[in-house]
Amino acid sequence: MLEFDLIKHESEQLLFHFQGALQLKGVCTVFGDSGAGKTSLIRAFAGLDNSFSGKLNFKQCQWQSQSSFIKTEKRRIGMVFQEPRLFPHLNALGNLQLACKKAPKSLYTIDELAELLDFSSLLDKKSHQLSGGQKQRIAIARAILTDPQLLIMDEPLSSLDQHSRKLLLPFIKTVSKRIPIIYITHSMPEVFYLSRQMILIDQGRVEAIGEPQTLFLNPKLSLAKHAHSGLLLNVDSVSWDKEYSLLHGLVDNQEIILAIDTQPGETRLQIKVESKDVIIAAQRLSGSSLQNCLQVSIEQIESLSAGSVLLTLSTGKQKLLAKITLKSLKELNLQLRQTVFAYIKAVSILGESL
Amino acid sequence: MLDALDYSAIFLTFKLAGLTTVILLIISPPLAWWLARSKRFYRPFVEALVALPLVLPPTVLGFYLLISFSPDSLFGGLWMSLTGGTLAFSFSGLLIASIIYSLPFVVQPLQSAFVNLDKDYLEVASTLGFNSTETFYRVVFPMVLPSFIIAGALGFAHTIGEFGVVLMIGGNIPGETQVLSIALFDHVETLQYEQAHVLSFSLLAFSMALLMFIYGVLQKRQKRLSNA
Repeated sequence: MLEFDLIKHESEQLLFHFQGALQLKGVCTVFGDSGAGKTSLIRAFAGLDNSFSGKLNFKQCQWQSQSSFIKTEKRRIGMVFQEPRLFPHLNALGNLQLACKKAPKSLYTIDELAELLDFSSLLDKKSHQLSGGQKQRIAIARAILTDPQLLIMDEPLSSLDQHSRKLLLPFIKTVSKRIPIIYITHSMPEVFYLSRQMILIDQGRVEAIGEPQTLFLNPKLSLAKHAHSGLLLNVDSVSWDKEYSLLHGLVDNQEIILAIDTQPGETRLQIKVESKDVIIAAQRLSGSSLQNCLQVSIEQIESLSAGSVLLTLSTGKQKLLAKITLKSLKELNLQLRQTVFAYIKAVSILGESL
Repeated sequence: MLDALDYSAIFLTFKLAGLTTVILLIISPPLAWWLARSKRFYRPFVEALVALPLVLPPTVLGFYLLISFSPDSLFGGLWMSLTGGTLAFSFSGLLIASIIYSLPFVVQPLQSAFVNLDKDYLEVASTLGFNSTETFYRVVFPMVLPSFIIAGALGFAHTIGEFGVVLMIGGNIPGETQVLSIALFDHVETLQYEQAHVLSFSLLAFSMALLMFIYGVLQKRQKRLSNA
């Protein structure tokens, strides 16, 4: 358990107040807007920012209290920053060996990590000879080699190429079975792939801690207010139409058609449907260009600010959000548990299971 | 051409410069680190004190040192009771003067290297479990090694070129305080131009070589920084 109650003031104004408790099991993702305070939170966890007051307990250890402050080097945490921060005067191997100085043994050896993260041929290269993805893979290995009791990662994959991402995500998930990880991300697929626990940061506060799906479905949270808010749907692919470059798939046994240039290798795809891209109709529409229609029932109606409402819709097992105006809600006379038709204007295809 | 006294002056000069550089490389890093990081209100005062030898005529510095070296003064008296000798007109006095005189030449390159050292790397070091001492010798020192080389070389070269301070506090005692620059001055005074030429040219060539070395290292450092 990581319990925290941390406060930071700046020129007499309350800047951050983080309070909560995290289970130290698997990956805990930290989600929130830019500038909400995600990085500040993890820097306070790591002891890199000593301007916070309050208390912080890691398991039985008191990392911070009114009268005490355990320094970063005593907390035994591994840290992966947004930028790789490899030491420029050392080659990759030198960077990794430096991490072993205070940790004689760790989960993996340098050779094993080089194999797993595919950088064996890069060990003699200096930082400036490596690409961003290569550097970040080595930085992640470096953090693991310190044999940490907690691994903290600040958007480690945000600027990486597809190859590095594909390599790292499953690896991070594997590591999390042995070392608890706190992981900042902006990516919903990463949240759903990695974590069962998410901490939502909004305006310098912990807004909620819980299962990602539960938080994304909760219309009361700040997540719902954003234009990009939406949910992931799993689509089982059925067939691919070469002539129109269209994939026929199923969402809870209802047909959905996706525009995909090449036949996908996977049988299950994830798509993201943003709440602003869902149109609600009481009857089936005819003579429109809209291709995808799901029959759904209204599970929840939550009013947002500025005359709009957010509907939570159920396709059976999966859920979908729709943002409509208050006027439409009144004119269509929508009620809870009513069955309506949800037309989907646009989806983004997130690829295989990620 | 050169006589025994000249050789002894050359030897003494290098001994003085060598010892001064070694001592400066021990005391300057912590001082430079403090100057680079401290936010204390009296930091500018200390910084100015360190930089004084850059602007002060060496004779002014020499004069105050001579006063403080006198057995009647607090420092000179303390030295007398500890060692039984006086500092003025002795090699030890010369060494102390050289350390003060060359201090800014060693501190300033180090200080600027520490100021430019990205705090991000220090954070990484602490997440690798290093305390501040370990961070210094495992990370900071190797990262700014070129600056240490420059600082040492500048301190060495500057001590070799010392004249005014030595004249004020060391006088001209062969084998004890007669350094190269003083020996040269003597030769010119006594119109021994041939020896003066040899000494001058040797010093000129040596200084040129040393400076070329320093700027070679600097160039490398520049490249390293732009690559980082």
